[in-house]
Amino acid sequence: MAGTQVSQDLLRDDSRLPRVPEPGVMVIFGASGDLTARKLVPALYDLAAQRLLPMEFAVVGLSRTEMSHDDFRAKLREALEEHRADQFSEDVWESFSKSLYYLPGDSKKSETYAELKDFLKKLDEDHGTAGNRIFYLSSSSSLFPTIVEHLGEAGMNEDAGGEEDGGYSRLVVEKPFGRDLESAQELNVDIQRYFDETQIYRIDHYLGKETVQNIIALRFSNGIFEPMWNQHYIDHVQITVAESDGIGTRGAFYEETGALRDIVQNHVMQVLCLTAMEPPVAFDPDSLREEKVKVLKAVRHIPEDDAESFAVRGQYDEGWVFGEEVAGYREEEDVASDSQTETYVSLKLLVDNWRWAGVPFYIRAGKRMPKKATEIAIQFHKTPHTLFSGSETRGLEPNVMVIRIQPEEGVSLKIGAKVPGSGFEVRSVNMDLLYGTAFLEEAPDAYQRLLLDLMLGDPTLFIRADEAEGAWGILDPVMKAWSDGGSEVARYEAGTWGPEEADKLLKRDGREWRRP
Amino acid sequence: MIGESRSSPGSGAMTVEQIEHQFAQLRANDDGSPGLRASVVNLVVVTDEESAGRVTEIVSGLSGDFPSRAVVLISDPEEEHANLDFQISAFCSIRGSGQVCAEQVIVHAEGPPAHHLESLAGPLLLPDLPVFLWYPADFTVDSPEFEGMVSLADRLVVDPAAAQDQGYCLSELAELLNRDAPDLGDLQWVSLSPWRGLVAELFHPPERAEKLGEIERVEILHAPRGEARSLLLAGWLASTLGWKPESVSREENYREVSFSGPSGEVTVEMSADSPDSALQHIRLHSGDMSFQVSRHRQISEARSTVTQGGEVVAERTVRLGSFEPGAILGEELHYRGRDDVYRAALRMAVEIMDL
Repeated sequence: MAGTQVSQDLLRDDSRLPRVPEPGVMVIFGASGDLTARKLVPALYDLAAQRLLPMEFAVVGLSRTEMSHDDFRAKLREALEEHRADQFSEDVWESFSKSLYYLPGDSKKSETYAELKDFLKKLDEDHGTAGNRIFYLSSSSSLFPTIVEHLGEAGMNEDAGGEEDGGYSRLVVEKPFGRDLESAQELNVDIQRYFDETQIYRIDHYLGKETVQNIIALRFSNGIFEPMWNQHYIDHVQITVAESDGIGTRGAFYEETGALRDIVQNHVMQVLCLTAMEPPVAFDPDSLREEKVKVLKAVRHIPEDDAESFAVRGQYDEGWVFGEEVAGYREEEDVASDSQTETYVSLKLLVDNWRWAGVPFYIRAGKRMPKKATEIAIQFHKTPHTLFSGSETRGLEPNVMVIRIQPEEGVSLKIGAKVPGSGFEVRSVNMDLLYGTAFLEEAPDAYQRLLLDLMLGDPTLFIRADEAEGAWGILDPVMKAWSDGGSEVARYEAGTWGPEEADKLLKRDGREWRRP
Repeated sequence: MIGESRSSPGSGAMTVEQIEHQFAQLRANDDGSPGLRASVVNLVVVTDEESAGRVTEIVSGLSGDFPSRAVVLISDPEEEHANLDFQISAFCSIRGSGQVCAEQVIVHAEGPPAHHLESLAGPLLLPDLPVFLWYPADFTVDSPEFEGMVSLADRLVVDPAAAQDQGYCLSELAELLNRDAPDLGDLQWVSLSPWRGLVAELFHPPERAEKLGEIERVEILHAPRGEARSLLLAGWLASTLGWKPESVSREENYREVSFSGPSGEVTVEMSADSPDSALQHIRLHSGDMSFQVSRHRQISEARSTVTQGGEVVAERTVRLGSFEPGAILGEELHYRGRDDVYRAALRMAVEIMDL
């Protein structure tokens, strides 16, 4: 009866109430792994405790390890008590854990999927999960194509949309999205054979960080920056992602990966895109990602036979980092004594478009640097004409605006100011605004933010296929040049800002790296 | 000139410049270099001597999440002689290489100046930032002091539960909605947010959403001090679901309101028998189904339950969040703009009281 029909939206249509996703179930492949216990389930627990998950929600872990539902829950509880020690509540856990399930199964076998399908149907009945499914690929990336194929063959890829008894089907892919352009393209073809791009969520947790999103906020919610954000005012840009840590126990992984694949292809390229992109029409998935892809397309191709003029790779030797003596990379566990794997990369990228013509983007990412620092430094042109004499302007440098992502999130601007007193001496002064200090509230964990977006069906902060491929496309010639022998990896002492070759990369252009 | 030079027998003359200078000194780093100030709002509080300690404690506690210029006005207009006293403090925290400070000035105003509080608060506000005016206790809408203060504010924040007569306070607030007043924030309404979210969540699945149109009876159990909260909750349901109030019956600590809903009569029973929690539970009945949100044995948690024919079909326990005054005020400081859902709920709550 039309007159008496009231929909839930009436109570929800309220700006003070948070958006809560539709009922659904999340299937995690590779659920016995570290990511599930350390990141995914704690993030889901937080969402549940904070009233941001629907009542009708369930998680199904799937992997080859034999475990009962209760074993799985006990394992997750243990992890949760460790990672959420101060927020753990027995009652919240009890109600949350009822929605956690585990299916042991080999993701290479069809019967696993038949069993999964039946199990999900049962959950729809028992938990009211409404046929909505999220398939989270957290297993080894070599299994991704197999899992996707089986899901497709079992008909679990179908996005029924508004159909009766049907729900959505979404696929989450953890990085790495391939090892190079070719494998990324292959992976995308394999996945897209069964899932439409709108169903695919490639996750790079970096984009879930508040601090990274703040780059967008700073650029596009402040009218004063945009007019000078171009080649007329900017001389060059330096993007630094420095870590003081070494590789720890991840030697085997790192030997296969290296800094270019581990950090540059994803995190650094995202920062480059957010820094260089045109203002999107709206903060929505297509507008934002379209602009990011345009940046990647505009990056000038690095010639494979002249990669050395654009790219430097380095590897740390032993040294001292903040008072601690540390081993060299080749002495680390599971690392070859003649390893050529890079722990440091610097690149010179040119963005060939109207805005950035002639403005180099210098990028560096490395391990065992003197300190942890992620920042974007915008170096402005010198003033066109100097009013003051040489001695008066000693110590006066061009303006630099630094967007610091970590550790102290904020913006600093180096400006020239008059030294008090007679005469007209002008010196550079740093104006430092720690905008993080204006909001000391604890930022939600990156996974928490992204999982919620995923369940709400908002892919804005996820990577689109052409973005992943675009980033690989830029780096492919460099990787080829390095794998074809090329020059030896340059060495740098742990606790320094990288090899001399990296300094030369800028020196050739009459510039130098700034000290973060 | 008002706001520039003020005399006070207690602390001597103090100008706006002197106050700003003292703030700058308090912000300085250990080595004497200028300290940073981070501010997102101006928070002006009007209170009395009795509540001053508690209020300043709440404001100081907020300085972490909402660094602000807080101006706490302790007003005693009954005193015969004019007297002004200023206490200046800054709350600094170490951030990176320096410290960041939020500031608080406590102004004791006695006698005639207490009638012109806006002349004291106005010059102390930081430019370009929104002004939240918080009345933690009772206030009189028609007093000239109130009008003067409201003229400074972008948002007025009140707490009907702190009023002697909570019902009357809601009526006063509803009256404000008809005036050219700043946006209104109500801490009782803020406290209801998690409850409202949980109630809305009970009807999230489409098959249960249909039941919203068939609700016959609602039970709300609250403490006597939760009267305003309970009325706003009932007002919210009624205004959102299109129920029209028809009649009311009252007993001590009990109110039963009849509404005409889209599919028949709806009864809302509000009982003030809860010994401790301002709001203890809400139950909504529709046919053989019941929907309940109740405080759990852990006071900070709530349990949502859906039953059909007496059998539990869905349940879960979640955190309700903190109901500490500081946390609630902090929540309100997040909000900007007109809250139309609240306005409708408030008007309905007043309509219920006026039956």
